[in-house]
Parts: sequence; C-alpha cells; structure tokens
Amino acid sequence: MNKNFIPAQAIIREIIRENEQIATFRLELTNKRLPFTFLPGQFLMLSVPHCGEAAISISSSPDRLPLVDLSIRRAGELTTAIHGMKKGDQVGIRGPFGKAFPIEDFANRDLLFVAGGIGLAPLKSVIDHCLFQSGLEEDAVQSITLLYGSRTPSDIAFKQAIESWQKQGVDCRLTVDEKDSTWNGHVGLVTELLTDVTITGNTKALVCGPPIMIRFVIASLADLGCGDESIFTTLERHMKCGMGICGHCHLDGRLICLDGPVFNVSQLKKLDVMEFAR
Amino acid sequence: MIDLKELILSKDNLYPLLRKLRKEARLIAPVKNEHGDTLFRPVGDIDTTDIDLENQPQESLKPFFLPQQETLTGYTINKGEYSFSPPPPAKNTIFFGVRSCDLTALLYMDLIFSKPFKDATYFDRRNHSLIITLGCNQPFANCFCEATGSGPYLEYGYGLQFIDIGDRYYVSAGRGKGADLLNKWSYFFREVEEEDQNRRYQLFLEARGQFTRNIQVPHACRKLQQEPVAEAIWEKLSSRCYDCGGCAYVCPTCTCFSVDDKPQDNNSGIRVRSWDACTSSGFTRMTGGHNPVDRTRHALKRRFLHKLKHDFASHGKASCTGCGRCIDICFGGVDITTFIELFTQQEKP
Repeated sequence: MNKNFIPAQAIIREIIRENEQIATFRLELTNKRLPFTFLPGQFLMLSVPHCGEAAISISSSPDRLPLVDLSIRRAGELTTAIHGMKKGDQVGIRGPFGKAFPIEDFANRDLLFVAGGIGLAPLKSVIDHCLFQSGLEEDAVQSITLLYGSRTPSDIAFKQAIESWQKQGVDCRLTVDEKDSTWNGHVGLVTELLTDVTITGNTKALVCGPPIMIRFVIASLADLGCGDESIFTTLERHMKCGMGICGHCHLDGRLICLDGPVFNVSQLKKLDVMEFAR
Repeated sequence: MIDLKELILSKDNLYPLLRKLRKEARLIAPVKNEHGDTLFRPVGDIDTTDIDLENQPQESLKPFFLPQQETLTGYTINKGEYSFSPPPPAKNTIFFGVRSCDLTALLYMDLIFSKPFKDATYFDRRNHSLIITLGCNQPFANCFCEATGSGPYLEYGYGLQFIDIGDRYYVSAGRGKGADLLNKWSYFFREVEEEDQNRRYQLFLEARGQFTRNIQVPHACRKLQQEPVAEAIWEKLSSRCYDCGGCAYVCPTCTCFSVDDKPQDNNSGIRVRSWDACTSSGFTRMTGGHNPVDRTRHALKRRFLHKLKHDFASHGKASCTGCGRCIDICFGGVDITTFIELFTQQEKP
C-alpha cells in the first residue's frame, strides 16, 4: 500500500465484542488489487471519519488476509467513534508500519506470552500465526503458554480466541485483579503466574500490557533466567504519521514507529524508557 | 556548451535578472515590510518591493516547505463511502537571498522527510523549487554557523550561491537547475577573473573572523556521546521553559508536526498537518492522559538531545544550523546556546 498520507478505504466486515470496552473490527480493503501484507507486531494508522488517525496494532494473523483485525479499546474520541460504527461502514487505513516480532526465530521454541488487558491484541497476531504455521510445517513452535491478566472476570477479552487456542493445545492461564462470584480461577497480578512456568534456554517471552506490568514482568522473567535477547515487548506511544517524520514517538534517538514498536530487552536497556526503568 | 559553474554578476544586472526569473516562477525573497520586518515573501513588482539583503530574515524557509498549517488530504463521506483526495500540486518557486544556515536546514529536512518513506507533499514542493543563497560576509548578532558547519559560505546544496564582493556578485552554480539557469541567462554574467577569486577568498576569511560568539557545538556533541547531562542542568533549564514553543517554531530544523481532521460539514473535511513541538506539554500525551515524559524536569531534554546528541550520532552533524533565532525568541533565556555552555562546563560525574 502507498506509504504516505493518503489512506486506503477499508470496510468493516465484522465486529466482535470482546468485553464492555474492547471490540475487534474485522476489516477488508475496498480496493482488492492494492498490495497489502503485514507481519505480526506491525501496526496500522486507522482513520475514522472526522476523528483523524490513531496507531493501532494488528491483532489478526497475516494468514487471515485479506481480512485484518484491529482490536480497539474505547478510550478517546476516535476509538469511541469507531465503537459507534457498524458492519458495512468504512474506515481508512495506512501501513503497515513498524518492526514485527522476529517470528522467523520462533521455530522449535517454547513461546511464553504474558499479556494484560488490551495488550493481548498484538500478541494474538503472533499466537494465531504460530498455530496456523504449526498446522502446516515441521519446524513449528515447540509449545505455547499464555499468561493473561484482566482487571475483573467481565474484563477478560478475546474469550473466543482463548477458547480456540486451548482446543489447539495452548496452555492458557488467566488471572484477575478482583474476582466476583462467577470466578474460581487465580486472583492476583499476572507476575504471580510466572512462578509456575518453566523457563529454559529454549524459551522466548513476548510481553505486552500497561507499562507498569511490562516493567515487572520483564524483571521477573530476568530473575527466572530469561535472557535479554529472548524477552520481547511492544511499546505504545502517541504517533501522528507512522513513518518516522512527525517526531511524536521519538525516544532517545530512536523512533518507536520505525525502530519499534517491538523491542527486545537488550534494546530497551539502551533507551531511557519507563517500561524498563534501570 | 561552456561549463558555467562560476560567473560574475554585476549588481546593476541583479534586478533585470530577477525580473526574468519572476516571469518563470514564483519568486520569493527577503522583503522588508511597512513595519520594518524582513520576511520571505513573494515578490510582485520588483521596482516597488523592498528586497532586503542586509538583514537576517526573521523566519527561515521552513514555512514554505512545511507550512504552519497545510491540508494533506481532503475527505468525504458520501453514502457510506469514506474517500480521500490528494492535495493540490506545488508551484514552481525560486527562492532568492537565502542564508547559508537556512539552506543547510533544508538539506537536513530533505533527510528527515525521506527516511525511509518519502513525504510526497514535502518533496513535491522541494522538486519544484530552486534555491539561490547569499553567503554572509558579516554574521548577525546571534549567529554561530561557523560552529555548526553551516556557513558563512556553502560548498554544496544550493541552486546558485551569490557572494557579495563589492559592486558585483560572485555566483557559483550547483548541479541541475542552477547551472541550467546560468546557461539560459548567460548574457547577464561575465567570466570570473583572478581578482574576483581573490576578493571572494579574502571576504570569506574576514567573515569567519567576525563571529563574536564562541559556542562549542562539536565539542558539546562529542561530549554528549560520552557522558550524561546532569539532572540539575535539565531542571534549571526546564524551570524557565514556559511551554510557548517559540524556539521550535522559529527553528529551521524543528520539523515535528501534528495531524488532525477538521470537519467542514457533516459529510466532508480536511486532514491538516500543523507544526507541533516536543517542548509543548501535549506532545507525548496519550489517550487517557498518560504521558511518558516528566515535563517539569525534562521539558527541554528531547529538543536539545535530539539536535546535538542523536542527530550527531546518526548523521555526524548536529541539526542546529547556528542561525541564532531561538536566542532572540526565548524570554526564559533557555535557548540551545545556554544549554551548550552549561553542558560543556559540566565536570565529569
């Protein structure tokens, strides 16, 4: 797709309500001849009529193309507006932008995903992609474990995806900060789930969620012996262009939109970044 | 065809030449207005316009390539169809009387707007422009381009470079459009003689000797690669930053921008790009109010480190061109030279 300021039109094919705040919008380009492909971890600049643009991670696997999912939490003007849209409505997209997760290094690995809230969105793209691959190729991933934290049981998003992953052999462990009468699972922070997980030299950990969660999970993973080059996260910053020009996501000589949003801890250590406080 | 790389233009021939150029393209030059301000403006009637080559233009060329506000695309929502239209094409423009620092800034902008994707709107303007610079024989009060390697004369980047050598200009052509222009209007010019060359060289040496401010830019850049800036320096500077954005707006290399939609009616609107700056409080604030930058302590950190540390590391050169405009505009006295002075005096922690 043309990587400039003119968005391409996309049509909302389906809306999957994930929880009170989060919905997944399944999009398709109206011009099917436009070349469009992406890798897990990349993001799009989404245009919503009269609301401008926002950077949104792609939450589906590239294997689902031409359909592409954006899972969006209702937070500001643009995200509230798209939550008011319906199937058949049009939005604009530019991209894909940013560096992806190094999925080529994930073959034969034990993958550990640690997510909080909407942070599962970019990781979902990787999980779906790995599961799709393992159905096809010999050198697929060894195992997939997901640790997922939510505020309350009703905040748990991506339930449909999680059920399908469990059926495909993904070890999914959920926790909530506050339980209610319906919940008999784990209560507490997602870092507590880490103590029951085996981490070996073959583990690659992918972490995404609120900055404070990322910080503590990275610290715990390091304590458990996970190497800096084996822990990946994806950063969220205010962005206006996605192309390395507008300057908003500039961080210590790096641009999150070009050099990120995916970083390993070894790269984060060189940056003055709150997700990795030294 | 003879190689017309360097020629002499008698000052008597300047206005006749400009008159020809104005017929070919929009001509922009430093013009003194009725208030006494010198600003780059389109030149209408050359005989009644006060083209001012004596004073430093108050703004750089930045607004002509990255306007304070511009429409990137228009959009319409028609029967459910959400579509976008391209911006109008750029006009052919000749810029005359541009100072070395401001052209250096434009070369830096070329870099920023082309990595790794080309900004089509910017390059449309750039490709439709020819820049004629005027070397500085006398630095202005706040200038320090010698320390930033962006003046007083230039070696490349210009369409044409004019050097005032008394009653005539020593004119050098860059590649492409500049050389074409000299070829086309060769009858206004004469060959360079040895005396012209000597005069030019002598003026260059004199110009370099006239800088009153000794700002240690390369030293600061190298030192920044080696050691961190004391927190006390950031706090001292930030305490007098009033968030006005003035430094970034007058800065020829501050190119950060914001993009916002402005609805015109229910079914259409424009997507507008406008100047923004890391010195503004909302610059990094995300939806929900979370801001990864602590502004009371670090309001100016990004700006100075970007120009002096990070750009030096990636391009081998600071992205400060020594034009000195930020010195005049800051009523808090926390311009880049203050930072350089404080940091170069900082003792190794």
